[in-house]
Amino acid sequence: MKTITLRISRFDPAADAEPHIEEYTVRVNEGARVLHALHAVRDEHDPTLAYRYCCGSGQCGSCAVRVDGTPVLACMAEARDGMMIEPLDLPILKDLTVDMEPVIAKIARICPAPDAALPAREEIAAIKPLRDCIECLCCVSACPALQVTEFAGPTVLRQEMRLALDPRDSGDRITDAIEKGLFYCTTCKRCVEVCPKEIDVPGKAIEKLREVANRRGLTLPRHQEVARLVQETGRSVERTKTTFLEEVPEVIEPDGPVRGEVGFFVGCMFNGRVPQTALDAMEVMKRNGIRVIVPHDQVCCGSPLIRTGQTSHVEDLKRKNIEAFARRGITTVMTICAGCGATLKNDYETPFEVKDVTEILTGYGIEPPAKLDLTATYHDPCHLLRGQGIREQPRALLREAVREFVEMPSQCCGAGGGVRSGVPEEAKALGAKRDECVKATGPDVVVTVCPFCEFHIADCTDVPVKNLVTVLLEGYKKKDAEQKGSS
Amino acid sequence: MVLYNAPTNKMLVDEIVDAHVLVIGSGGAGVRAAIEASRYGGVVLVSKTIAGKGGCTTMAEGGFNAVLRDEDSIQVHREDTLSGGAYLNDPALVDALVREAPERMADLVRWGAVFDVTDDRMVAQRPFGGQRFPRTCYAGDRTGHEIIMTLLDRLDATDTQLYQEVSVLDLAKDEDGAVSGAIALDRDGNPILFRADATVLATGGGTQVYDISTNSAAGTGDGFAMGYRAGAELIDMEMIQFHPTGAVYPYDARGRLVTEAVRGEGGILLNARRERFMERYDPARMELSTRDVVARAIATEVLEGRGTSRGGVYLDVTHLPAEKIETRLPVMLEQFLTYGVDIRREPMEVAPTAHHIMGGLRITPECRTTIPGLFACGEVAGGVHGANRLGGNALADTQVFGKRAGEFAGKAPARSGRVDPARIDGVLRMLDGFSEGDTSPADVRRDLKLTMWNRAGIFRNAPDLSAALGDIRELADRRLCAASATNLLDCCTVRNMCTTASLIVRCALLRPENRGAHVRRDASVTTEPATSPFGHTYISLAHAGIEQREVAA
Repeated sequence: MKTITLRISRFDPAADAEPHIEEYTVRVNEGARVLHALHAVRDEHDPTLAYRYCCGSGQCGSCAVRVDGTPVLACMAEARDGMMIEPLDLPILKDLTVDMEPVIAKIARICPAPDAALPAREEIAAIKPLRDCIECLCCVSACPALQVTEFAGPTVLRQEMRLALDPRDSGDRITDAIEKGLFYCTTCKRCVEVCPKEIDVPGKAIEKLREVANRRGLTLPRHQEVARLVQETGRSVERTKTTFLEEVPEVIEPDGPVRGEVGFFVGCMFNGRVPQTALDAMEVMKRNGIRVIVPHDQVCCGSPLIRTGQTSHVEDLKRKNIEAFARRGITTVMTICAGCGATLKNDYETPFEVKDVTEILTGYGIEPPAKLDLTATYHDPCHLLRGQGIREQPRALLREAVREFVEMPSQCCGAGGGVRSGVPEEAKALGAKRDECVKATGPDVVVTVCPFCEFHIADCTDVPVKNLVTVLLEGYKKKDAEQKGSS
Repeated sequence: MVLYNAPTNKMLVDEIVDAHVLVIGSGGAGVRAAIEASRYGGVVLVSKTIAGKGGCTTMAEGGFNAVLRDEDSIQVHREDTLSGGAYLNDPALVDALVREAPERMADLVRWGAVFDVTDDRMVAQRPFGGQRFPRTCYAGDRTGHEIIMTLLDRLDATDTQLYQEVSVLDLAKDEDGAVSGAIALDRDGNPILFRADATVLATGGGTQVYDISTNSAAGTGDGFAMGYRAGAELIDMEMIQFHPTGAVYPYDARGRLVTEAVRGEGGILLNARRERFMERYDPARMELSTRDVVARAIATEVLEGRGTSRGGVYLDVTHLPAEKIETRLPVMLEQFLTYGVDIRREPMEVAPTAHHIMGGLRITPECRTTIPGLFACGEVAGGVHGANRLGGNALADTQVFGKRAGEFAGKAPARSGRVDPARIDGVLRMLDGFSEGDTSPADVRRDLKLTMWNRAGIFRNAPDLSAALGDIRELADRRLCAASATNLLDCCTVRNMCTTASLIVRCALLRPENRGAHVRRDASVTTEPATSPFGHTYISLAHAGIEQREVAA
């Protein structure tokens, strides 16, 4: 047995205007789950504590709660000393019980055709990954799109795809999916992260439904424009100024001895819209002894097309990009765009390794920059944090570059998944939420490693937003100036 | 309409719902019954949980037995079921089960269930214990979840009225003694009266009365207790299936089901000395012997000192390809990983756990109980599985008898619609009494579960059973206390658990032989299952006993 203290959000609609937090100390067994701690509170302190549970083995989806902000199944997550337990982000009935029925009612039912026969093995295999859902609604609680739109929720769209894959179903799942907010998903993958069954709703449902929608001519007009641009120019961003690729040679040699060599996949945003950041990155690489090879025949990675379901042209892009790097014998390809990096890592099968700039820099180790006299916070790009599992490397680099680093709660900025172009009002609303968060955190600068996040958050807040490589370069410049001053 | 208590003119219940068929329970049997009954109109389904989240169907992992191949036969399924049940099964119910299981399986496939299939587009089947043919259909190891999701899809297409998180407290009866509905509490503790021409009890099992159990929190035996209080006869309540393989760690998750599919897919049992001990208990069938045999073998190994330090044995699949474990047993893999055990690389530790109640309300093949107006199906009904249930027969049972109960309840004639107010008044008085009690239901629940596990478990004897009965009666007499209106249900549930436990123990005392899952260390007579002179134990408000039967010598 061990003693733990936990805090629980309590709310009785008959007595309370709003929820309040109560603290309890209970004895639980080794290995006890959150649910067992709740039982202990109920049995030893307050029998009126309301919470749902049933199977106790992660199979029924009754007991989801938020523990320290993250939705989990109470019966499966281990109880921790000091944990805070709150209801899911849904209308509260009492204490930890929320109104699940309206969401569950949105989950489509199969409409079997009268002559429905057993699906074939491969059809079953395609459906199964979408069938494990236990309707616990963790994803619905965590989804940022739901905070600002009428999006029906990740699992609701999951079910639309599950039905679209079933030859027995006679419903019109694409029309349904669009009505339920198919284009609202930013593909931030927060739903995957909190799903007890790890169902990849954005990858296996949203993007696939968008593909079917595309085949039926239902892609959003703004997304179609991007696809046209990629098809005509190989780029998803219009050329409005001298591009990065036009400015740099194929090989950028470092200042000092060569410690390493990478190929550089620049990406459309850095190439065409914010080339200065990419140039800053090159300076940082030079300073740290890393030779950069920049194949000039590289094209768009295809991410804007895959995320919006316009995949007919993607294989061609993949082939061109893989050839561009493979032909030059490059074994490690660096990205500084989280979206490109996640696409190359997850949607490609590459004969070379793909690494984010923060992985390269922390891997080799960097010359310490002078610390800028700033308080900085870091915004996790979804496609870096969840798309590539990169959390610590950018923080480690940032800590070296500024006087003070402060954490800010992580949430999608709203730019991804074609939302900024396709549903700008949603992107704006999510950006405004980031602004609130930035204001509450109070930094001098917001640092990130994704051009989409950088561009979008900068649009939504007064606080300066910078790429990590730019901050590092400023640190080096300050260091040089200080050394010059002292000599 | 409002129901008043005539002498006091006090309003009893201010919400009354009328139905042609009232179905109590939202597991596989209840939902199947509602679907079938809806063909006749006026169906109300009352679920004490959010539908699909309660009950044990959702948790059922391994599969659904149905004869689907030419090489298999209904006759062999019948014989396997009877032999596995130690010939205590009601043969007419077994006939219905094995004949109709394939049709019910076809219903599920037609309604959209995602079962595993073979390359030649047939429903895939795996071997399960005690069966001579691999006839257990499956959807990975989440077969029950697949079934309940499919049934809820189908239910949604009917005009059934669904009441969720409404808990039935007791059955209502009319002046002639027929069941005419039920009284329930909603989530906030407000009473609701349901009146119906026919009532289907599909409340599932109740092995939560044991300290170590696979059942969901909803498996508290409410239906056995409500049926008993209404005057129905129950049979074979001593027949408790202890599933051989429940988790032993962590402490709070002990008893959690480790599906028989693990053994069906090739898992082997080893004691702490790494001996494959089933060779000594059933060398022909080994790990795929019937559950009663395997559970006793494991319990014996542990009792005789050959168990692990945590009181279990090893269940090992490390010799199977990782890919097979990942696709056929994904839930097992995920659950054990959560507790730090990668079953692809290390063995699981398992021990028996109370799983299923074979006994229950006595029913006819039309699912009629011994009281007019009341039907029963699924685990709350007795007789289908005899003294030991075959793995994979429970899901089939829910569908076959759910459909039958729904059909015959749907065809039931209209009744007077009258409800005996004295009975309702009694329930409401009981609820009032909980505001004046002094004992926490949690305390009674804990003591009851320990008593049942320690004194009415796998190995039994008369002194222990009598002591258990004394304990249960003492616990049942405590004055339970509800801390608020929403806690009234906790008190009612604990009361039901006490009733169910007492039915189990009383029937265990009535059967003097060892039969299937029921083992009396002090058995006064030695019988062979096929020729035993004993039939069902029976118990009701009116009488209790054990049937004698004539068996050809």
